[in-house]
Amino acid sequence: MASTEIALPHRHLEDAPAGSGARAGWLRRHGRAAAALVLLAVALFPFLWLVHLAFKPAADLFEDRLLFVPRLDGFRALLQGSFPRSFLNSLAVSTLSTAMSLAIGVPAAYALTRWQFPGRRHVALWILVTRMAPPIAFTIPFFLAYRWLGLQDTLFGLALVYLTFNLAIVIWLMQTFFEAVPTALEEAAYIDGCGVWQAFWRITLPLAAPGVAATAVLCFIFAWNDFFYALILTRTQAVTAPVAIVNFLQYEGWEWSKIAAGGTLVMFPVVVFTVLVRKYLVQGLTAGGVKD
Amino acid sequence: MTQRRHLLQAATGIGASLLLPGLAAHAQPGGARRFQGTTLNVSTFSAAYPKLLQQWLPEFEALSGAKVNFDAPSFPVYNQRADLELSTKGSAYDVVNVTFIYSSRWIDSGWLTPLDEFIASPQHTPPDWDLNDFLSGARAPETGRDGKLYGIPWTAEALLSVSSRFDLVQQAGLAFPDTTDDLVKVLRAVNKKERVAGFVSDSHYGWTFVPYLHAFGGDVFRKAPDDLFPTLDTPEAVAAADYYANLIREFGPDGAITYQPDQVTQALKLGRVNFSDAGQLHLAQLGDAATSKTLKTVKFGFVPKGPAGRFPGTAVHGLGIPAGSRNKEAAWAFIQWALSKQTTRRAVAAGYGSPARRSDIDSPEFRSRQRINGSDLAQLSLDSISLAERTGHMKYRTVSVYPQVDQQLNKAIALIASGQANARQAMQQAQAQSIAELRRAGQKI
Amino acid sequence: MGAANALAAPATPRAPASSAPRGWQATRRRAFAFGLAPALIVLLAITLVPAGALVVASLTPLSLTDPAGTFHFRDPLGNYRHLLEDARFLGSIATQLKLSAASVVLQLAVGLGLALLLNAPARVLGAVRGAFLIPMVLPPIVVALIWKILFTPDVSPLHRALEAIGWPVRSLIANPDTALWAIAFAETWQWFPFTMLMVLAALQMMPADPLEAASLDGANRWQLFRYIVFPHIRPVLVVCGLFRLIDSFKAFPLIFVLTDGGPGTVTEVTNYYGFIQAFNFSYWGYASAIATVILAGVFALSWLVGRLGWNDHGKH
Repeated sequence: MASTEIALPHRHLEDAPAGSGARAGWLRRHGRAAAALVLLAVALFPFLWLVHLAFKPAADLFEDRLLFVPRLDGFRALLQGSFPRSFLNSLAVSTLSTAMSLAIGVPAAYALTRWQFPGRRHVALWILVTRMAPPIAFTIPFFLAYRWLGLQDTLFGLALVYLTFNLAIVIWLMQTFFEAVPTALEEAAYIDGCGVWQAFWRITLPLAAPGVAATAVLCFIFAWNDFFYALILTRTQAVTAPVAIVNFLQYEGWEWSKIAAGGTLVMFPVVVFTVLVRKYLVQGLTAGGVKD
Repeated sequence: MTQRRHLLQAATGIGASLLLPGLAAHAQPGGARRFQGTTLNVSTFSAAYPKLLQQWLPEFEALSGAKVNFDAPSFPVYNQRADLELSTKGSAYDVVNVTFIYSSRWIDSGWLTPLDEFIASPQHTPPDWDLNDFLSGARAPETGRDGKLYGIPWTAEALLSVSSRFDLVQQAGLAFPDTTDDLVKVLRAVNKKERVAGFVSDSHYGWTFVPYLHAFGGDVFRKAPDDLFPTLDTPEAVAAADYYANLIREFGPDGAITYQPDQVTQALKLGRVNFSDAGQLHLAQLGDAATSKTLKTVKFGFVPKGPAGRFPGTAVHGLGIPAGSRNKEAAWAFIQWALSKQTTRRAVAAGYGSPARRSDIDSPEFRSRQRINGSDLAQLSLDSISLAERTGHMKYRTVSVYPQVDQQLNKAIALIASGQANARQAMQQAQAQSIAELRRAGQKI
Repeated sequence: MGAANALAAPATPRAPASSAPRGWQATRRRAFAFGLAPALIVLLAITLVPAGALVVASLTPLSLTDPAGTFHFRDPLGNYRHLLEDARFLGSIATQLKLSAASVVLQLAVGLGLALLLNAPARVLGAVRGAFLIPMVLPPIVVALIWKILFTPDVSPLHRALEAIGWPVRSLIANPDTALWAIAFAETWQWFPFTMLMVLAALQMMPADPLEAASLDGANRWQLFRYIVFPHIRPVLVVCGLFRLIDSFKAFPLIFVLTDGGPGTVTEVTNYYGFIQAFNFSYWGYASAIATVILAGVFALSWLVGRLGWNDHGKH
C-alpha cells in the first residue's frame, strides 16, 4: 500500500563534488526541504489568513497591523443566533451518516471482495457513478420526495441523502482494506465450523479495524463538508454549520469577524481529523487510483 | 434551562408592562399567553426593522406564550429559500417577508394566506390597530388580484438620489443634478476629485436601473399587468441602458458591478463614492454620527428626470403567512404585534428610516430624525411614493413573472458596464431571454 | 488473488466429500448475497429511483406555480428542444468546459511539480506532505469564503500588498476577462493536493532499477524524468485528470459566493444554471432536463474511467 516513504535513489548525494563550498553542500542537502517549506507557507497562506482574521478585534479588521492582541470577540458573537445549534446539527448528521454508511457498506464491501459473481464489474461501475453524480441530479427528486414523506428539514433526511456518496466511499475503500487480509486466516475459521459472517466478525474485521477507522473519518469529513444538499434540504431545524455561515453574508453589511470565526470553527474538526489520520487519508483518497 | 426561560419570560412580561403602559393596555386580544407551547418560525431577510424586532422578541414571547425562531439571512439567500419553501406549500415557516419583486408571484400562485379575516375579527386584532393607517400605496402591492390583502407592509421606501460629498459639487460651482443630463455634467466635474469615485449603485439593476429606463421613455412590459410583452429592446430602452451602464463604467469605483447594497452604503458612509441611488432603508444610516464620516457633506434629492419625466422606484416589503403554515393564528398574533402602532413607533424612535404607517411618517420623532444635514429625507420619499401612486409606473412589478425579467436586467446592465456587449446587443439578448422565460412560465405572449 | 481457488478444494472433514463443496458454496453465496443486498437495495432506492424520477420530470414542463396544470407529457422532448435553443444553456456548457480544462490542467501541473519535489526521504518532507492536505479537506464553503476575502480589493491583503508596491490590481472577480481564471485559481488551490498525492503514490511505486541503471549510464535528471518517470506516471495523470474533470462539474460554492454566475453570465456553469432554474424560479421540468444532460456527461466520463481499468479490484 502507498507508504509515505520513497524509493527513488539519492542522486544528488552521490553527485556532490568533493571540495565544493559548504553553502552549496547545505543547499543541495536541504534545498528540497527548504523549497518545500516555502511552498507550504505560500500554499497555506490563504487558510492561515482566515484563521488569523477570526482572532482579530473587529475594529482592526481592515487595518494592516499584523501584530495584535488576539481576541475572541468573533467567536463570542457567534454564540448568539443559530450558529451553535447548526454546529451541533453538523456533528449529529455527520455521525449518523458515518454510522449508517458503515453499517450498510462494510458487509457489502466484504462480499464484493470475497465473492466473484458475474456482473461484478457492472455493480462496481454503478457504485463509482453514484459517487460521481452531481448533487443537482438528486436534489430535485429528493426535495419533492421529502416534502411528501415529511423528511424535509430533518437530520435523518440529510443523513439519508449523504448515503448517495458515503456508501460508495465505504464500499470502495473497505474493498482495498479487506483485500489486504489474507484469506488463509478466514479459511482456518471455516474449517473450525465458523459461518462466513462469524469469521468476518471474529477475524477479518479486527484485522481491518484501522481501515474502518480511516474510512469512518473520511465519511465524517465528506458529510461535514457538504453544502449543496444542506442548502436545499434544510430550513431551520436541521441547518448545518456550512449553510449557517452563509447567513452571515448580510444585506446590511458583511460581518467579517463572524465569517472568519465561523469559518475557522467549521473547518476545525476536519483539520484535526486530517492531521490525526493523514497516513490513512492518503491511502483512502488515492485508493484505487493507482494500479497495483 | 426551560425553567430559566419561563422565569425570563415572566420577568420580561412584567417589566414590559411596567415600563410601557401602552403595551399593557394593549393586551393580547383573546387573553395573554394564548399560544403557550407553540413554536413560531419567522423568516425575513436581514434588514433594519427585522433587527429591531429580533431585539424585542422576548416581549412578544412573554405576552403570547409562543416561542419564536427568527431567521434572517441575506437578501438573495432569503428570497431563494422562501420561494422554494412557498412553492411547495411547505410548513417550515409561519411568517415570511413578502419581498417586493416576488409579491405578485407568491400572491397570484396562491402561496400566501389572505389576511382580511384576521384583520376584521376583533378576537385577533384590537380595534385600534387601524389598517388604514398604512399607506395605500404600500398596501397595493400586497393585494392580490382577488382584492384580498396578503401582507402587512413594514417598509415603504423610494429610490432617492444622494451625494455623499456635496461639498465637491459646490466647489465645482454646480447644483444638485435634476435631470439626467445634469447628472452626467456633475459627475464629469467631480469624478476622482480627492480620490472619490463619481457614481455607484447596487448590482440589483432590476431595481436601481428601472427609474432611468422609465425616465428615457422605455418600460419593462408593453402594458403591465395586462399586456406582458417585454419591451426591453426599444430604442428608448437601449438608450437608457447605454446611459446608465456608462455611468457605472465611466464613474464607478473598482469592481462597481459587484457592489451589494451594504457595500454601497459603506462606501457612501466613508466618502469613497459620491453619487448613488438608494432607498431610505440605507440612506438613513448616513445620518448616524457614530459611523458616517460624510454626515456633514451629504445631500439628498429625487432621482434624475429624463426626457419622459421623473419616475422614482418604490419598494414595499411586508409580513405575510404562508399557505401551508400550521400556526396561522399564532402567526397573525406575531404580525399584528410586530406592526402595531406601538411597535412601529418604537422603531421610528430608535432611528428606523422607512415606516409604512402614515401616523409614523407624520410623527415629529420621525421627521426630526430624518432631517440630515438640511435634507428632509422623509419628505423626499413621501413625495416620491405619492408620485408613483399617481403615475402607476410601478405596475410592472405587480406581475408574477417579474423575478425572471429582473434577473435579465441585472445581467444586461452588467454586460454593458463590463464592456462585454454594447447596449443594443445586451438589451436584445435580455429581450429574447425574457420572452423565452415568460413562455416557459406559461405566459401567453 | 485465488480466494475462489482456495475454497474450491474444501477442507471440511465432517460432510461427505461429494456434496460438501456444493453445499458450502451455496451457503457461502447466500451469506454474501445477504451481506451485499442491503447496500444494493439502498443504493437502488436512493440513486436509480431518483434518477428515473429526474428523467421523467424532464419530459414535462413542470413548474410549481401551477403544479397540476404543468405536469403533463404532451410535449416530452420540449425541454430538450428549448435547451438547444437556449443561448444561456449553451454558453454555460462552454463556460463549464473552459473552467474544467483550465483548473484540471493547473491542478495536474501543480500536483506533478510538488510531487516531484516532495519525493525524497526526509522527515521534514513527510510532515510537509501531511500539511499540504489541508486545502483539500477544508469545507468547500470555507474555501469560497477564504477566496472571497482574498479577491475583494477592500479587505484583501494581496490587493493591498500589490498596491503598496505600486502594482494596483483591479478586482479580479468583477472583471469578465479574469473572473473565470480567478475561480479556476481558487479551485486549483483547493484540489492540487489530490493530484499531488496520486502522483506521489505512483512515484513511490516506481521500481528503482531502471532509474539506477540509467543514471549509472550517465543520464541527467531531465532525461530520467522524460524517458523513465513520465511514461510510468502518465496513466495515473490521465486517470487523475479524468477524476478531477468529473468532480469539476460539481463546482458550486465557489461560484455561489464569489460571483453568482457573473459578471453577466461569464462564470455561470451548467450546474449553476440548473440550480437557478430549479431553485430560483422553480422550473423543475426544465432544470431536470439540464440535470439529465449533466448526468449523461458524467456517466460517459465515468464509463471512460472504468474502461481505463480504474476500478479493477477484480484483477486480484
